Amino acid sequence: MQRPRHLVLAPCLLVTLLVGAGTAVSGPFDIPLLPGPKVPTAEGEARLLFASSPFGVAVTVDGRHRYDIRIALSGLPDPTSLGAYHAYVAWEVSTDLADWHRLGAVQNGTTTVGQTSRNKFLLVITAEPDSMPSDHSGPTVMHGTSPSGWLQTFMTHPMFRGISQ
Amino acid sequence: MRGTLALTALFAVAAPVLAQDAGMKVPSFDQKTGGSPNMTLVAHVVNHPGAWKAADIEIEEELSRPYLYLSGFVNNDFQIYDIKDPTHPKMLLDWSIENPELHRGIGAMDGKYFKIGTHYYYAQSFQFMQGSPDTDLGAVIFDVTGLPDAATVKEVARIRYPASPGGFHNTFAYKHSDGRVLYFATVGESKAIVYDLAKVVAGGDPASWIVGDVPNPTPFRQNGAGGYHDFYVGYDVGRLRDVFYGAGLGGYSAWDVTRPEAPVQLFTITGLGFDIAHTFTPSPDGNYAVTETEYQYTPLRIWDLKEGQDDQRQNLDLPISAWTADWRDLSHNHEVRWPFVFVSAYEDGLFVFDLKNPKVPRTDGWFYTCHCTHEHGFGGNPNAGWESTTSVEQGAFGVDVRNADGLIVLSDMRTGLWLFRMKGFDGWNGKDIGMPNISSVQDWDHGPVPR
Repeated sequence: MQRPRHLVLAPCLLVTLLVGAGTAVSGPFDIPLLPGPKVPTAEGEARLLFASSPFGVAVTVDGRHRYDIRIALSGLPDPTSLGAYHAYVAWEVSTDLADWHRLGAVQNGTTTVGQTSRNKFLLVITAEPDSMPSDHSGPTVMHGTSPSGWLQTFMTHPMFRGISQ
Repeated sequence: MRGTLALTALFAVAAPVLAQDAGMKVPSFDQKTGGSPNMTLVAHVVNHPGAWKAADIEIEEELSRPYLYLSGFVNNDFQIYDIKDPTHPKMLLDWSIENPELHRGIGAMDGKYFKIGTHYYYAQSFQFMQGSPDTDLGAVIFDVTGLPDAATVKEVARIRYPASPGGFHNTFAYKHSDGRVLYFATVGESKAIVYDLAKVVAGGDPASWIVGDVPNPTPFRQNGAGGYHDFYVGYDVGRLRDVFYGAGLGGYSAWDVTRPEAPVQLFTITGLGFDIAHTFTPSPDGNYAVTETEYQYTPLRIWDLKEGQDDQRQNLDLPISAWTADWRDLSHNHEVRWPFVFVSAYEDGLFVFDLKNPKVPRTDGWFYTCHCTHEHGFGGNPNAGWESTTSVEQGAFGVDVRNADGLIVLSDMRTGLWLFRMKGFDGWNGKDIGMPNISSVQDWDHGPVPR
């Protein structure tokens, strides 16, 4: 039995709309990046990509997923305009801000850095004196939260008691 | 003599009728500027450059310590102001959580000061959401004894509550009749947590800081965990007990917390329309109360509590009157200095009404502070600046009154810090009007009962 043409077209149209919406649609591997106060007009997003592996899924020896991170940025000024900085660097940061793991240098455009194997982490991009700093010291320019960070239950959270829109 | 003066002042307060007093029209939204003739603007400080500037506000009560504390809301900070010259508030300190740009949530919400021995402290509550650092952080405690020297302000403790991430939305510092200084805190569970602040500032095992909890008997689990949103704790001089007045999901409840380790339920207020109970503030004698429910178009309700307090009824469901600044909006937090009620009325700014006749509330004065677009309040997507296109939650958030001289301080989410005086209101002492001297203001040295 042949399916009516409009029923076939409808899902296609939906997919087209979703893809066309681009960054407006975030999936479980996407990290929207927010600008810091020093670069208020910068924009960015990141996506977790399974790290290269001979197997289907890349994991550490203790079973944690390994990801590269593809970071797309735009609107970042030359880092020298922010002070004595010459590079932007991406960091994987533990949620208590205690552990900063350098992922790699980034710039406007698309850069893939890695690897991360944390479940929940912050993705932070800072301006630094060089592209290989051992620790972070410059200002935050972009930041985001790993998708799993949003899985923390806040059903009980009394922000405004769930009554705001 | 003072009592006579106070009574004279009480009845001398001009009573301009406005808005929601019976038969009066409400002003158009674009006319909401300025104030009533009896309300004097003392100072206004725009404390932050962004769209959202402040949450709650706290003023120290001793004239020799002219300091106020402004919670910075989504700016994740608090500010201390010296108001020795109230016409020129001077910011002494702007303290921010570390890496504020990496924290997400509504941030610095509520601040309370307290005194233990000879030291003064300030507790700043925080609320951070999923994906943010410090989701378990409830409050940071500072020793502020050395003010006005900001360099002497020192952090002494952080209260964390990992069992229910999301921090403390509201808190209340209370000098208990047994001499302890207690800190009541909302959490995302069906109870309020009670801390012994002497133990907190002394350090040691945080597990020992909690001395009890007060259950919420009116859970409304469809909308969260049925916890408390706000509360007031006061000594009931006539009935010789410390009483917790809680507002939360499902309604209001009063508890005898004379022994905070084992609270005893007194009565509840539940019924249609009270599910989103927000604030519950009694009169100095505990016989009346003002309550708020947090949704648009709802008024503050006035209650006669006597049947509940005297164990004649377990649940009250019929208020005796109501008041609102503007029926189209929502009046928020309030401070009771009987018979006056000072209201931070969101889009309507500061309002003062009185309960000289509790069945007929009367507006006494007002000053519009929000200067905002109606229904563009807080509540939208954090990534889009938190702004909603339907919420009226913006404008005057918190209000406090210095009993010593009647100075009124107000925090506005949109416009920052405001200081006022109302003609005829030069301070408050309950004894001057034949009431117990009980309000949110604590006698840190002596407690509510002379010892």
